Amino acid sequence: MKNPLIKRIPKELVAEWHKYAVIVIFMVLMIGVVSGMYVGHDSLMASINAGPEEFNLEDGCFELKKKASQELLDDLGKGEMADVRQYFIDKGIKEADGEVAKAIDDNLNEEVTQAIEDGVREQCKAYGITDEQMIKEQIDTALEDNLEDAIEEARKSEDFKKAVEDAYNEAHEEVIKAVDEEWDEIVKRYDLDEESFISVPITIYDHFYREEAEDNNNDGIKDATIRIFKSDSAIDKAAFNAGRAPETDTEIAIDRMHASNAGVEIGDTIRVGNKKFEIVGLLSYVNYLTLHESNTDLMFDSFGFDVAMLTPAGFDTLTSRVHYEYAYKYEEKTEDKIALADMGSRFLKSLITQTLVYDNEIEDFLPEYLRQASNFAPSDIDGDSTTTAVLCYILIAVIAFIFAITINNTIEKEASVIGTLRASGYSKGELIVHYMSMPVIVTLIGAALGNVLGYTAFRNLMVSLYYESYSLPPCGLVWSKTALIKTTIIPLILMFLINLIVIVKKLQLSPLRFLRHDLTTSKRSKARRIPAWSFMKRFRLRILFQNIPNYIVLVFGVIFIELMICFAFGLPDSLNNYADKASEMMFAEYQYMLMGSKDSDNEVIETSEETAERFSAKTLLYPRNNDVSKMRAFGSGKDESITVYGIADNSSYITLGAEGAYISSAFSKKYGLGAGDEISLHEEYENKSYSFDIAGVVDYEGGLAVFMDRNSFNERFDMDEDDFSGYFSRNEIKDIDEEYIATVITADDMAKVTVQLMHSFGAVIDVFKYVLVVLAAALIYLLAKIIIEKNEHSISMVKILGFLNGEIGSLYILPTAIVVIIFAVAGFAVGYSLMIYLFKVIMLQMDGYFMFYMKPESMVLSVVYLLIGYAFVSVIDYFRIKKIPMDVALKNVE
Amino acid sequence: MKEDFLKIKDLKKSFGTGEAKQDVLRGMDFTVKKGEFCVLLGPSGSGKSTLLNIIGGIDTPDSGYVSINGDKLEDMSEKQLTMYRRRHLGYVFQMYNLIPNLNVKENIEVGAYLSEKPLDVEEVINTLGLQDHKYKYPNQLSGGQQQRVSIGRAVVKNPDILMCDEPTGALDYKTSKEILALIEDCNNKFGSTIIMVTHNEAIKYMADHVIKLRDGVVRHNDINDKKIPAAELEW
Repeated sequence: MKNPLIKRIPKELVAEWHKYAVIVIFMVLMIGVVSGMYVGHDSLMASINAGPEEFNLEDGCFELKKKASQELLDDLGKGEMADVRQYFIDKGIKEADGEVAKAIDDNLNEEVTQAIEDGVREQCKAYGITDEQMIKEQIDTALEDNLEDAIEEARKSEDFKKAVEDAYNEAHEEVIKAVDEEWDEIVKRYDLDEESFISVPITIYDHFYREEAEDNNNDGIKDATIRIFKSDSAIDKAAFNAGRAPETDTEIAIDRMHASNAGVEIGDTIRVGNKKFEIVGLLSYVNYLTLHESNTDLMFDSFGFDVAMLTPAGFDTLTSRVHYEYAYKYEEKTEDKIALADMGSRFLKSLITQTLVYDNEIEDFLPEYLRQASNFAPSDIDGDSTTTAVLCYILIAVIAFIFAITINNTIEKEASVIGTLRASGYSKGELIVHYMSMPVIVTLIGAALGNVLGYTAFRNLMVSLYYESYSLPPCGLVWSKTALIKTTIIPLILMFLINLIVIVKKLQLSPLRFLRHDLTTSKRSKARRIPAWSFMKRFRLRILFQNIPNYIVLVFGVIFIELMICFAFGLPDSLNNYADKASEMMFAEYQYMLMGSKDSDNEVIETSEETAERFSAKTLLYPRNNDVSKMRAFGSGKDESITVYGIADNSSYITLGAEGAYISSAFSKKYGLGAGDEISLHEEYENKSYSFDIAGVVDYEGGLAVFMDRNSFNERFDMDEDDFSGYFSRNEIKDIDEEYIATVITADDMAKVTVQLMHSFGAVIDVFKYVLVVLAAALIYLLAKIIIEKNEHSISMVKILGFLNGEIGSLYILPTAIVVIIFAVAGFAVGYSLMIYLFKVIMLQMDGYFMFYMKPESMVLSVVYLLIGYAFVSVIDYFRIKKIPMDVALKNVE
Repeated sequence: MKEDFLKIKDLKKSFGTGEAKQDVLRGMDFTVKKGEFCVLLGPSGSGKSTLLNIIGGIDTPDSGYVSINGDKLEDMSEKQLTMYRRRHLGYVFQMYNLIPNLNVKENIEVGAYLSEKPLDVEEVINTLGLQDHKYKYPNQLSGGQQQRVSIGRAVVKNPDILMCDEPTGALDYKTSKEILALIEDCNNKFGSTIIMVTHNEAIKYMADHVIKLRDGVVRHNDINDKKIPAAELEW
């Protein structure tokens, strides 16, 4: 016979549906959101990671000033370095030989002519001819008859031959000497002096593009710069988020993110250059996941920059100049960064030398691993998984709490049933299985629905967050093992264990104690003495004491909710605060990073700007795992970029103390470093590391940096004494050619990052706030429900005795209300402090640093939001108390 | 001659519908005088508790009425009914129904709080012999002690009517007699009208008025002129 207790389960589910509904909603929201984050993250990463192969992502690209000859492309394909020295010598000798030959011819002609003239004059003198007119006629005749023969004869003489040889030798020696002098400089500049150069064979693809002005609304005003590639490109292809590739020369496909920002869609017509095109597709180029116009841009700009695709015929109808960009792929495949860097630098040598010998010029060179447009988004998305993990741990803790209190409550409510069943002969095992069934069923329902939402709505929400920022390809749904384990399996196991422990522990009590509802283990023989307040006050205090375990759970719940609310309010506040203070944070209004300290004529790049001050700088990496703080456990191992500055003596921008390395306050706060500590920084693409003893901390919140005096810097990093990397300036520098400027950093650039983040997260954060209010209300609802259920009998009793609903409400709701208010404030304080800590942990996983900040009004609202949630619950509670029938107290009479 | 205080007129009450319909009260009529000790006797299912609940204003009849001092309960709103219970009634239950998180004194104060003319709480505690237990929680008391507290909570209100629903149903013989003596004291000392539901025939001897119920009607309605003190009861 089947265990008849099974029949109770559906009945209890129906009878207690609102309690279980709240638990299910709680679990669905929590599991759904976190699972959605994992699934969204995994789906996007799967799509991004599949991109390079599917869309044939380059390993790098270079742009030449003019179209490359087939011979140049063939030689570049072999990846060998050209013999530039020999090229220069050959070229020099060829030029020199021409000059020498011409000089010899001119000289010979002159000398032979003179000899003939002298001979004629001698003869005329012998014949007594003095008439100059006659003499000149004789000379002309003689020159006409004999010059060529005479020159020919002179050429045959040994003297002449020797003289010619000497002249050529001397010229050749001059050329070699001149080339060698120049060559040393070139070798040094491009580091070409490598005896054992290993060739880097590559496959080269044409990847020509044009840049035009884009006019989205056909008002004749340029809205953006659009970079157009051809639709038949075999490299760096595009994924289509909507529509298709252009098929006629009046059709165009443009970047989806830009289209969304510009407010244009498929079917619209935009003007590109002087021509109108109909948008037929919205795409995502595999090498433009973020719209960085230039690789040196600090932040991408999906408003002012666009990438597009035209048919080759459409491409030819445009009039702007063609950029001769060539993309390449290495024959040898590697993922290793150091190997990639090495291959990149070897190929660059091949490129520099080959373009020289083929008389072309490099306009741009960019290995793929350094390309911001394709690497920024994946690294950002990958970094976000830390936030998800932190949320996940909190989720597990909260679910555990909820189950602990609900199971305890169930056992207390069912005490007489359990006692009767045990007394009737039911075994502990049978009861454990019975009482485990309901939470298991509810959790399974919650987890199943949560996962369904996680894989659908929430996943789409998370994915759309990234789509709001980046030009990502469409992504399919990916099965996420992490999501299942972390959001479902672990909470299920945890719930199972918690229930099991609580039930097993409780069932150790004798059946009699269950029958007597005597489940407390307290040995207290007398009631707690309380002050001689008015009766109602003491009554409330008793209720408060009675529910201390529930209130303890409430504390954790409130802290959790406050933590989340602090995040929801604090993130935008922190971003805005950072943007507002960006200008104060900059130690120089303008920071010009130059491509090098010398221009193409090898002259030092100077400026007439009076406030300009030279500095040296270098980017190194700080290994996150070196962090010795408690946060270490969260470390992902990805290293942090640190800018090392060499600052001029008596700098007007940064004041350094005695000799040594100083770190920025942001660096100090992020990693808990200070004077006396030693840090070791290393190169990203080379096996070189440098250690520094920290002499002090410089107040600079704008970035993670190390400062030292410029002389020490240049010495440390093998730079010339006068070498420098850029200028700090209070005013804009206008007299340095743009081609020599790598980046300019201003407060606006720093703020751009936060503007972009706000654009991406703004709307979702608001939704998140409301979800939190619901979660807060759900949690308080569960706990308040338990408090009222526990006292249902007493409430019914006092009703019979004549207490009014208002009085009962003030007895059973007011203590909870007071507790909630106190906990909301205290929970906020704890949540706020925790958030500061968690923010640091999250920051540790990301590049850069900014402080967690909350506006005072946000702090107030954080508490108010929770109280609004509670206000709803207390209204429900009031009606719940009102609905408790008086016969509850009479039930056990007959 | 005492005046009629509680009047029950043609009271009917049924539960369920159709075939499952069960008539619990099938036209009940009787009156109780002020200060009377009235016992409602009857076997299980006779309608005693339903009748008590209707008199207590926590259930309503299908027809007929209950009036207290001339005021009909059926004319009262929910709030007025609450006020009626608050001002006029004291309740003693078989299972005591004490508030578990209040100590003895506080449980008695629950009654005192509701009354406009409460008795002195300490005096009631002493009268009930609970002075050594007044700071204990209900679960630290024996059944008899809990029932004393329950009586204390009811009488401290100095109620016009003390409703006792099987007050000795869960107690042993000796304790039962002590409890009955206490109730008797209240009747004598404070003049409260007592309505006591019981199925213990022996208790009728201590009452002024004995109403026997069966199948939802009054079978006997007797005035007892020879009542004996609770202490002398035997069963």
